[in-house]
Amino acid sequence: MTDEPTRPILTVRGLSKSFTLHAIDRSVVSLRSVSLTLNRGEHLALAGASGAGKSSLLRCIHRNYLPDAGSVVLHDGDREIDLTTLGDRSMARLRGRDFGYVSQFLKAPPRQGPLRLVTAAALRRGLDAAAAGDAAAESLRALGVEERLWEVDCSVLSGGERQRVNLAAGTVSPPRLLLLDEPVSALDPANRALALAVIEDLRHRDVSVLAIYHDMGIIRRVASRVLLMEDGAITAEGTVDEVLGAGHRALGEVYA
Amino acid sequence: MTLQSQAGQPAALAALLPADPHEGRPVVMDEQAKREVRRGVLAGVCVPGYIVPFGSREMPVARGWGSGGLQVTLAIGGPEDSVKVIDQGDEEGVNAVNLRRLIVGTLGSRATADTADASIVQSRHRVPEEYLGEDQVLVLQVPQSEPLRQVEKSVYECKRRHAEGDYAKMWVALYERLALTGVMGTGTGHPVMVHGRYLMAPSPIPRWDIPRLHRSDHLTILCHGRDKKVYAVPPHTAVDPLTFDDVPFEVEHIEGVACAKCGTAESFMVETRTGEFICSDVQFCLKVRAGLADLDRHDRLVPRHYYPDPARRVRSFVPAVGTRRVPGPAGITAPGEDWSLKVEDLGKVYPGSRGSSEVVAAREVSFDVAPAEALGVIGESGSGKSTVMRCIIGDELGATGAVRIGAVEEGRANLLELSPPARRRLRTHVLSVVHQDPALGLDLGVSAGGNIADALIAAGWRSYHDIRRRAAELLDRVEVPLGRMDDVVGQFSGGMRQRVQIAKALATDPQVLLLDEPTTGLDASVAAGVLDLLRELLAERELAVVVVSHDFSVIDALTDRAVVMRQGRIVEAGLTDQLFADPHHPYTQQLVAAARS
Repeated sequence: MTDEPTRPILTVRGLSKSFTLHAIDRSVVSLRSVSLTLNRGEHLALAGASGAGKSSLLRCIHRNYLPDAGSVVLHDGDREIDLTTLGDRSMARLRGRDFGYVSQFLKAPPRQGPLRLVTAAALRRGLDAAAAGDAAAESLRALGVEERLWEVDCSVLSGGERQRVNLAAGTVSPPRLLLLDEPVSALDPANRALALAVIEDLRHRDVSVLAIYHDMGIIRRVASRVLLMEDGAITAEGTVDEVLGAGHRALGEVYA
Repeated sequence: MTLQSQAGQPAALAALLPADPHEGRPVVMDEQAKREVRRGVLAGVCVPGYIVPFGSREMPVARGWGSGGLQVTLAIGGPEDSVKVIDQGDEEGVNAVNLRRLIVGTLGSRATADTADASIVQSRHRVPEEYLGEDQVLVLQVPQSEPLRQVEKSVYECKRRHAEGDYAKMWVALYERLALTGVMGTGTGHPVMVHGRYLMAPSPIPRWDIPRLHRSDHLTILCHGRDKKVYAVPPHTAVDPLTFDDVPFEVEHIEGVACAKCGTAESFMVETRTGEFICSDVQFCLKVRAGLADLDRHDRLVPRHYYPDPARRVRSFVPAVGTRRVPGPAGITAPGEDWSLKVEDLGKVYPGSRGSSEVVAAREVSFDVAPAEALGVIGESGSGKSTVMRCIIGDELGATGAVRIGAVEEGRANLLELSPPARRRLRTHVLSVVHQDPALGLDLGVSAGGNIADALIAAGWRSYHDIRRRAAELLDRVEVPLGRMDDVVGQFSGGMRQRVQIAKALATDPQVLLLDEPTTGLDASVAAGVLDLLRELLAERELAVVVVSHDFSVIDALTDRAVVMRQGRIVEAGLTDQLFADPHHPYTQQLVAAARS
């Protein structure tokens, strides 16, 4: 959708992942040689049925999972950083600053309120203490998290509130690359609109996004391209209409 | 050998016996015993203030009567000496009278009451008021030779502290006294530093007398017979009372009080039953009255610079604590490297002995930690994680491999090759530990403030007010109420103790912090509070942190990276969340599964 020549920010090649469960002596295949390219400023959607490997793909990129084979290359100017072989320490630093991941469920440290949680995220992205507090407040407001909840322990928030706090932490002073795992799945229509506005706004802030959605309407609205995943592999790629129109009925079946 | 009657004695033995047992002087000490004492005294003179053990003999006096002083006087004295014996400044005490008779009768020397006339002055609890010169020796009877005894029960530890010049505990005792009473009043026997090296118990002389030992012209010998210890202050040796830079040492002096008998206002005085004050040194008092005292000379000995000055005293205060948060220093890494702490191929084997086989507690353990980074070490008990921790701290000898710290010789030095004292010194500045059991990191008999003072004093802090302010800041930061700053830690709850221990560990802004099961053993809610505190503290500082725990939630809350240990080896390493989400090793999978249940 962009006119200028597209430059990749993330290149995934031949990524495979299986889990060996030693206790029951079984192996479960999760990803089968997945390759994809995310361009700078692009919003790429991942679609597919539950268990297709979408979340595993995001986690392998973020290295919550260690892939068995393949490469995940982050393009930083002319530098290419292979995230699968990057040292743990460098990876931990990169995650804080340049590379965000909003998981499906909020994983908040115990006994922390939304404001502190989002402020901590802003601090990790390099804002100073004062700026981080302001940015966190702004981010929470944009997502409609009421001020009376800001000091309340995250674990007592409702599912929708938690999801918005999670998204606020992910998008406050946003990193260059953001992975979103079903960021609006638990939201009511009004809050969903707020969240989508924040997600759409990322494009104007030069944030590249790779996101999982289960709603065709949302994909149409926010994503420039969509990847269809089936059984751990990518089976179709293109604009929403291309993927639908190319006879990949699977997408239609999933999100009918 | 059987005793035989006088008549039946063999000729050889009979020749050794004096013809008349009542003739000649009694032999209280044989020449061997005297030589032993003199050897001890010489060693003591050579190393001023150092406590020399010697072969003390039984003396024909009751315990506490000064058998130590008696042995020294008998060993160094002879017929040509004139001996003065005093007890608390008085010649006529029962103790003094009897010792004098014993000494004079044994040595054949002359007894004298005049300090100026005596070549040996044996004294209990006083230094004479009058000047003592180069040809005079002061012998002090000592009831407790070990100055550290009141703060350290272990004889071994006392000796180690003397060897390393580690007197922080004594300073803490002074700090405690100041914090509780506002005055330095240690009564008699205030601890002194001799020649800037050894801490010495000057025997229970009043503070008034301590300046008289400082760079004095006479030799002072102190001896504890029952303890078999002798030590000395040679002439012209510095003797400095232990005190904080900003809290002056004080001698006993009451402005406007004069001796009821001789009228002098500047001597050490005692109060009579009638409420009058008189000179403690009876002989000096008599001489003043007779106009025989050298008052000019005495005047030069008066410790006016130590007279109490209420304006300079410490007021009982709890420092105000602002919200100011002083950030710790920037982390120091080895040049060209990322890390502050590096462990390379660490190994530790407990050798087998009869009844137990060899145990490999750690093998090929390697990791490094950067500033502002926390590394977790997870494993069950017996996995070797505590051994690794102890090897880094220096509590475990005979480890192989290397432990390096960026702030120590730019990371070139292998800590495992340093001497135990050098490793202990690291813990005052560079490396701090928070133990599972607060009793290991704290002195439970000392106040919260005193425990932090301990760390600061060891690191060289000598200003009472600075120490107090810093301790208050730290305690405030770890949310210990300042009202409890001067309470003994032994009265604190477990969670509060742990907070104090954390404050102490951070007191000197170390580069590396080791947390050994920091919340284990605390109630769940208390542990949660401590965990939250630790998380905040780590975020504020650029510390390189190692967290050892069997508890996943602790590792998860505090660290970005972790290693999993089993049977002394690291079986898996990775990002903490990756280890939990995608454990590879069967053992890690077991641990994760167990943690989830």
